[in-house]
Order: sequence, then structure tokens, then C-alpha cells
Amino acid sequence: MQQRNNAALAAPLSPGIPPAAFGAGGPMLKEFDNSTVVSRLTSQAPTPPRSVKGIGGKVAKPDYSESKIVLATVGLPARGKSYLSNKLLIYLKWLEFDVKVFNVGQLRRTRAKQKAQRLGIKEEHTAQWFSHDNAEGNNSREQLAHDSLEMLIQWLKEGGNVGIHDATNSTKARRASIEQRVAKEKGIHLIFLESLCDDPAVIAANVALKVSSGDPDYKDSSPDVAKRDFLRRIAEYEKVYETITEPHLSYLKIVNVGSQVTVARIHGYLQSRIAFFLMNLHLKPRSIYLSRHGESQFNVSGKIGGDSLLSPRGMKYAQALPALIKDNIGDAPLTVWTSTLRRTVQTASKLNYPKLTWKSLDELDAGVCDGMTYEASINQFTPYQAYPDDFANRDDDKFNYRYRGGESYRDVVLRLEPVIMELERQENIVIIGHQAIIRCLRVHSASDSRYAYFHQLPQGDLPYLKIPLHTVIKLTPKAYGCDEERYALPIEAVDTHRPKPKGPGPTVQIKSAREYFTEDADKPASTTSL
Amino acid sequence: MVAPLYTTASGLLFHAGHILVMTIGLPARGKTHISRALERYLRWTGVKTQVISLGDYRRKNLGGAQKLPPDYFTLGEKSPETIALRKKISEGCEKLIWEFFESGGQVVIYDANNGAAHVRNAVAERFDKAGIHVIMLESMCDNKEIIEANIRSVKISSPDYKNWNPDQAIEDYYKRINDHEKYYETVSDMTWPFIKIINASLHFRFVGEKIELNKIQGYLQSRIVFFLMNIHNKFRTIYFARSGQSLIEHSYKADSDLSPAGWEYAEKLKDFVLERRARSLEERGLNPRERKLVIWTSTRRRAHHTAWPFVARSGFSALSSQLPLLPVDIEDEHIRPRSPEITSEPESFLPSHSLRGDLPSPPPLKRQSIMPSQVKVIEKPQMLEINPGIWDGLTPEQAKKYYPGDWDRFTKDPYSYRVPRAESYHDLSVRIEPILIELEREQEDLLIIGHASVIRCLLAYLIGLPASEIPAIEIARGDLLEVVPASYGVHSHAFHFWDGPGRRGEGGDLQDVKDANNFYENYAESTRGKRKTNDEGEVIQELPDGPAMKGEVQMPLITQYPNQLLRL
Repeated sequence: MQQRNNAALAAPLSPGIPPAAFGAGGPMLKEFDNSTVVSRLTSQAPTPPRSVKGIGGKVAKPDYSESKIVLATVGLPARGKSYLSNKLLIYLKWLEFDVKVFNVGQLRRTRAKQKAQRLGIKEEHTAQWFSHDNAEGNNSREQLAHDSLEMLIQWLKEGGNVGIHDATNSTKARRASIEQRVAKEKGIHLIFLESLCDDPAVIAANVALKVSSGDPDYKDSSPDVAKRDFLRRIAEYEKVYETITEPHLSYLKIVNVGSQVTVARIHGYLQSRIAFFLMNLHLKPRSIYLSRHGESQFNVSGKIGGDSLLSPRGMKYAQALPALIKDNIGDAPLTVWTSTLRRTVQTASKLNYPKLTWKSLDELDAGVCDGMTYEASINQFTPYQAYPDDFANRDDDKFNYRYRGGESYRDVVLRLEPVIMELERQENIVIIGHQAIIRCLRVHSASDSRYAYFHQLPQGDLPYLKIPLHTVIKLTPKAYGCDEERYALPIEAVDTHRPKPKGPGPTVQIKSAREYFTEDADKPASTTSL
Repeated sequence: MVAPLYTTASGLLFHAGHILVMTIGLPARGKTHISRALERYLRWTGVKTQVISLGDYRRKNLGGAQKLPPDYFTLGEKSPETIALRKKISEGCEKLIWEFFESGGQVVIYDANNGAAHVRNAVAERFDKAGIHVIMLESMCDNKEIIEANIRSVKISSPDYKNWNPDQAIEDYYKRINDHEKYYETVSDMTWPFIKIINASLHFRFVGEKIELNKIQGYLQSRIVFFLMNIHNKFRTIYFARSGQSLIEHSYKADSDLSPAGWEYAEKLKDFVLERRARSLEERGLNPRERKLVIWTSTRRRAHHTAWPFVARSGFSALSSQLPLLPVDIEDEHIRPRSPEITSEPESFLPSHSLRGDLPSPPPLKRQSIMPSQVKVIEKPQMLEINPGIWDGLTPEQAKKYYPGDWDRFTKDPYSYRVPRAESYHDLSVRIEPILIELEREQEDLLIIGHASVIRCLLAYLIGLPASEIPAIEIARGDLLEVVPASYGVHSHAFHFWDGPGRRGEGGDLQDVKDANNFYENYAESTRGKRKTNDEGEVIQELPDGPAMKGEVQMPLITQYPNQLLRL
């Protein structure tokens, strides 16, 4: 068995083929790196940096410092503004842009609380306060919006990329004042994002969610009172609401999440990215099932990468998968995506649904380390014995570590971005992927879940998410989040998880539905380890 | 992103179905321009796409505007003869559309005015009944300047106005438009999916000021929208060059550094690009020092080290301690050579367009280099060369010997056959598509220092070659390709500037490098592609055939390799 594995190491498909010339397990690479042949004339100083040597190295984050955008939301309450900004936040953070939501309502509550504590004055923020006939209320709300925008611009200047000015911004005058303010800043672009909704069912659901989700504005009111007051508040806004028609503004107008979209004067790379992402969203109920392939022969022998077939236990998993999916989804239409590697195709082979194989879903390319083992064994030469420093380097910053001739997690995230875009458009879907791929997809897809709004998993922890073999992760997107269930099939498999060498594993703060109404966003309601 | 090319028995993309895009708009609204751009893009992604132009069909069957009955374009009562003629033309076009779908086509762009709502809805219904997804693509314009510019640049050169005096032609054309305007109905009912582009212009920076969408669903449909959102027509130049020769040419994984010849190449490339760019911009009356140059490379060491001379300057040694992935911005003050020729070269030296013909061409200045106002190097992981998979490090003989089955299938269909763990050219196109969209969007001058396989894909898109031709495009190391996008198609030139080791990657002239090259990457060069080369070294590109290429569209015709034309 060991003999056969060694042959497979060199060439997965046909035995007897010479091993890869520059694999990390062989001596050639090291010899080459150590050679003293000078390839560049010394007169041509300065010498450029060596981006890779050994088996890989850390790479720096791309420079996004030129992207500075104020995204101001426009829309009545309960029209899905927060839904859209939340989705956008996750998407852009996943791509490593620095994004922050500046919610005017939250600032209002924080201020009111401080005022109550300091001066003992309790402001009533009922619908009356939101009436546009209430001069005092108008002034306070103007001031709040103004302060919130100032905080946002300050944050952009300090290095942020996209600041979401989350408010109703429902009048032309309000938008003009935002425009004037942003125009004073060089290099900062302004886009309005208007969300319109005329589907009474969606509005009612949004209202119900707002009332029931522990919105602190209504914490002392009965649900009925709260609902009445909230509807009255909406009515107050409706009286003065003006949809965007200003021809000179850059804006994105979305009706009923994606059924009609207007894109006006959206120029610039990141702006068009944002627009395209938001255009692809939909609210149809659906589930996303993520699974790694069944246990492979390389999993069993502890090898990295490769294109091996499933182990007998992996085959069992492939056989058990259809029943699990069927139990869950019944006869609903479904599409199966796999990578081009044989172990995922094999795992999906018993699923009787339309299938697509994506090259982009292939496992992180370990470059020169492909086919090597982490642990030394009797007749295995590991790259980590040959390159101990490199191995330590990878442990130090796995997200940014790029294997020589291969990829880093960041490279994988970039390669998966189009997949994410397509995933947003799809309905029920099963993705049979690989460890690194499912880690990245899960962080994106499940991140629109409850805890994500303020507590997104730091990218550095992404490579340590535990995605066991023979487990299906079911994600069900909800209006303000995403439910996650895991189905572990009782088929044994090796554990391929390598914990973070230093410190504890990643923890994700799980918060309840609209938890971002809490005054102190930094205090999680509960903590669950993943 | 383009979906993988997983075709069903019918030869269509797996989850897209048939699509009919009906253009709607008055004449001179850029419909044809948009249709052609879309066709080029979709074809490049491997989708069988065809523009069917009512105007072309009419001209082909009835002849130019002069040969038509006088009431053909006018409003009001038409003679029975005219009605019959018009009916014949629209029915003939519809028949062409059906034929294209029946012969395995997937997307038809029906380029016509389609101004009357009841007429276009009737056409849409007929196709919708057959299960074809219909999208209305309206181009609206209320800006008189844009319309006039469009007419001047395109319409009066149309075959309809052959031998006409331009002013008369314009006047006649306006009359034609005015008549159309009277019955024209913009898309307002929400039954059909539509894309409405407002104020599209052939000259402005973006294809439209505003885009409205209704019920756009489906994979290809959303690609179409994203593409339309990103194209622009601002003048810029795109340069392509291969990376320099590396120490281990034959391995994808080794990611080795440049060889001595590679370093020499990198220096030459820098000088040549700056010189060529300066000359080409000055010919157009533009100041090369006022424009930025953006350089994209892959994350491979040999690629971004080839860009190194652009940023390596004395005074920048601090950079060498940084990781190169950080894009390097250089302020012009630091690097602009302060030679007298340049400082004494004010605006007057750069003639405006109208004067250009009267002035002598700029004398060849001996300059070290004219640096752009800013150089920025960006590394893009999506731009890695094509992955040879299990063939990494093998010679063609070894590949043939050990993987005979794969070898056969690969040589038969190098565009779509995927060797185990490798990428096919289609896979590569899918990977590069985001780069292509960025390339469309980029407004600065761009230099792409890449790998032959990547340049092949991008170039095929720009010059409009069919996807299946991609693997055969030869990209020699030592040639600089200059591409200037124009209204229809592009102007492209290749300049030969270097003849050192590794030029064609054959390896014969390499003494110090074992095994020469990665044959998978250099397949086109080692098989000499499929293109015909004449004795002068002129490479003639054959254009894709078919009705799309006929009519008034001008496509690039010849890529020249003027040997040593601009050798420094």
C-alpha cells in the first residue's frame, strides 16, 4: 500500500512516471536555491526582493488605500436597507476591504442613553419625535446624521475603504447636504443606495422583525404598541420621502431586492463591483449545503493536495449522501457543484441532480509541497524537515502564506470571488469541495449570519475553521442572517484539522438576530467556539 | 466570472438556454457599437453568439438607401410595395435568427431599431413561446452633442451614404431620425426583462450615464449587464509583453527568478516601452509625462521582476526591503529625467488634432526614457500562467510517452481539453475573466507583463478572435504588442525589440538552462501556431468569418511585425 502511495505521489494517474522535477521533497529545489549563481549583474542595483524561496513565503495584502467610498443608504424604514448593507459588508470584508457601518439610529440611541445617564433627561423617541413637523426632533436628527457622517469621513481618512452611512436620507435636501460635505474631500466617492419595496409581505416581515428583535427603542413597549408606533414612524417618513431622481448623483436603486435595478453614474472599479454584487442578490428561500469530499486516500496517508481517489470509508460517505440531501430537501430542484478533482466528483457521483464542475473550486494549490506529508514517516521525506523555517512561517500567518508555485488563502479567496457572485444568484445548491475551499465559502456564506454584523471572523482565523470530513453544513439564509446546521454522518474518517499552533482556536461571537441594536456592540451576548 | 464550459448534448452552456437580445433605439444611439462589443465578449467566453443586423440585411437584399422607395424611411401612409418590402426584410431577419438558434447558436443580438412597442412585443412573444429568453436592450439618448458625434463618426461613412457629401448625408440622416422619433416608443412596460442604457456615447468615458434593469435573471444575462457596466471608450493604450526568461523555464512550480538574459530583457523592455509609448502618444498630441502607466504582472517571481526596472531607481533602494506585492507608487518628481529636451518641450510641440497634418513629425529624440507621471505595479494572482498539471516539468516527448491518451486529446483540442490537474485554455479564460473586466474598465495606459498563455487569452478577446484560436496565438518573447481600442475592434501592432536567449523558448540557443521551456505554456510557439507567416515576417491574422464581420464594421486587419522598426 505504501509503495503504491509513493507512486501516486509522483503521478496520480499513471505509474512509472518520473517524479516532479522541483517538488519540495526532492533535493533539487534546495540545491537550486542554495546555488551561488548570480543571475543579475551587480551593477544593476538595487536588487529586487525575492518573493519566494524554499517552499513558500508570506505575502502582503494588496494595497486598497486608493478606494474610499461613502455609501449612503436611502429608503423608508423596513425596506431592506440594512439587509443590503449587511450583505455588502460581508462581501467586501471577505475581500479584505475595510468596511464599517455608521448607523445613525444607533448613534441616536447611544447619545440618548448618555444624556439619560449624565443629565437624567429621558428623550422619548416615539413616532412623534420622527415627525417632520417636530422642529426639535428635526434639528436633533439633522445633527445626528451630520455627526455620523463626520465620524465616517474621519474613519475613511484614517484608512477605511467603504463607510456605509446607514440612515433614511429620504429627502433631496438631505442628500444634497451629504453630497456637499463629501465633495469637500478629495478622493472620496459618494454613492447612494436606495432600497424600494412595494411588496406588503416583505414590509410586514421586516416590521415584525424590527419589533420582535429587541430594538431598544421598543424595549419597554408591548409588541402591539411597538408595531403601531413603528408604522406611524414609517408614515412620518413617507410624508416627506422623495425617491432619487437627481440626475447628477451616483446611485443604485434596487426595487424588491433585485427585480428592478437602476445604476446611474457608477464609475470606478470598486463601485461597479458593489453595484454588481447588489444586483445579484435575491430573497427566494433556499438552502446551501457545503461538504468536503469523502475521506480520500491522501487523507488516510496524511498527504497534502494530490488528486487521489476516495478511501473505502469515503466511498461510504458518497453512498450515504443522497439520502441525507433527499431527507432535507425533498423533491425541490437542486444543483450540485464539485471541483475538477476526482475525489469531489466521486463524492457527488451518487447524487442524481444536475452537476457542474468548477476549476475554481479546486483545493488550495500547495505548489511544491503537493503530495508531501505533514508528519515524517519512515520512508517519507517531508518538506518541513527540509524547510523548518518555512513551516514555522506558515504557522505564523497561514492566511498570508503562499506556497511556492502554489497559492495562499488570499489567492483562494480571490479565485472564489466569482463563485460567490454566482452563489448569490443560485437557489438550492450542494457544493462538494475541499477543506480550504469550504472554509472560505462558509465564512462568506454563513457570515451573513447573526453574529457577523459586527463580529466577523478575522481573516487570519479563516484557515483554522474546523470543517470535519463526512459532515454536511446546511446554511439557510434568513432576512437578517443565516441559520447553520451541521449533519455529521456516522462514518469514521481521519481528522485533517491542524489546530492553530499558538493560542486558542478561533472563536466566533454568536449574537441574536438584530443584536446590532445593542448599545455596546463590543459585548457579545454569548460566545461559541466553532 | 464565466461559468465552466459544460455543454449539454445541444452544445449550449449548461444553465443558460437560448437568449435573444433585441436592441431598441433610434438610429445613432450606439446600438451597433454595443451589439458588437457584447458579441466579442460572449464569443470569447465560448458562447456561440451572433449579431443579426437588420440594416445589414436590408442593404444586402435591397441595396443602399438610394435604391429604396422614397417612402421607405418616412412616416405616414406607405405604398403597398414598401409595406411588402419592409415585411420581407423583417421576416428575413427573423428567419436568420431562427436558423442560428437551430444550428446550435446560443445568443442572438438582433440589431435593429425595434421602435414600435407592438411590433417588438410581437417578435418577443414569438421567440418566448419557443422557450427563448428575450431581453430588450434599449439605448436612449437625450444629449444632442452625443447624437451628433455618433452620426459624424459612424453613420455618414455607412454604405448608405457612399459618395454623398458629408453635410448632405448628415442632413438626410437627421431627417430619417426625426421620422423615426415620431413613432418611437421607449420601453415602459415591465413585462419583458430589459436593460436600458441612457446616454450611451462612442466617445465618452463610459458606455452610459445610467443603466436601468428590469427582471434580469439568469447567468449569462447578469454577465451581459456587468460587461455593459464596465466598458468605456476613453482613449488608452494597452501593451503586452512576456516576462523575461527564468532560471528554470520548464517548471510551473519552481517559480524561479529571472536568468541573466531575463534581467537584460527586463531592462530592454523598460526602455523600449517608455520610448514607444512616448512616441505613440506624441503622435496623437498627448503628453506621455502627463499620463499614468499601470503595470500588471502575475505573482510569479519572473513576471514581477521583469517589471522591476520600472520601479528600481536610485533613491528607491528602500523599496528593496519591502515585499514586492505592495504596489509601488512613484511620484514623478523623483524620477522624471530633467533633460533639456524635455523641459524645453512645451505644449506647442504637441499639436492639436487639427494641426497635426501640417507639422513635421517629431524628430527622433535621443532620450534615456520618458517616465510617465506615475508608474504603478500591481501583482494579480489571477494572471498566473496556464497550469500544466501533471505535465509540469515534462518534455513534450515525456508527456507523449507517459500520457498518450491525454496527449492525443490535448493536441486535437487544446482549447477545451483539460489534462489531469491542469487547466485547459477554457479554464484559463474563466480564471482571467475578472482581469478582462478590469482591463475594460482601466482608463490609464496599461502594460501587462505576463505569461504567453495569459496574453493569448486577453489578446484574443481584444482583437476578436474566436475562442478556439486562442491556443495557437504565438507570443514571442521580445515582442511588444501595442493595442489601442477603437470604436469597433482595436488597432494592434507588434514591435520586435529583443533577440536574446529564450526568445521563442525553443531552448536550442540556451547553454546554461536545462531543458529550456515549459512546453504546455509554449505550445503555440513550438508548433508555430496555426497562423500563416509570410517571408517578411508579417503575420496575417485571419478574421473570424460569418455575417457578423460583414457590413460596415471595421475590424483590425493586420498585425505587423516590422522588424526592428523602433529598435533603440
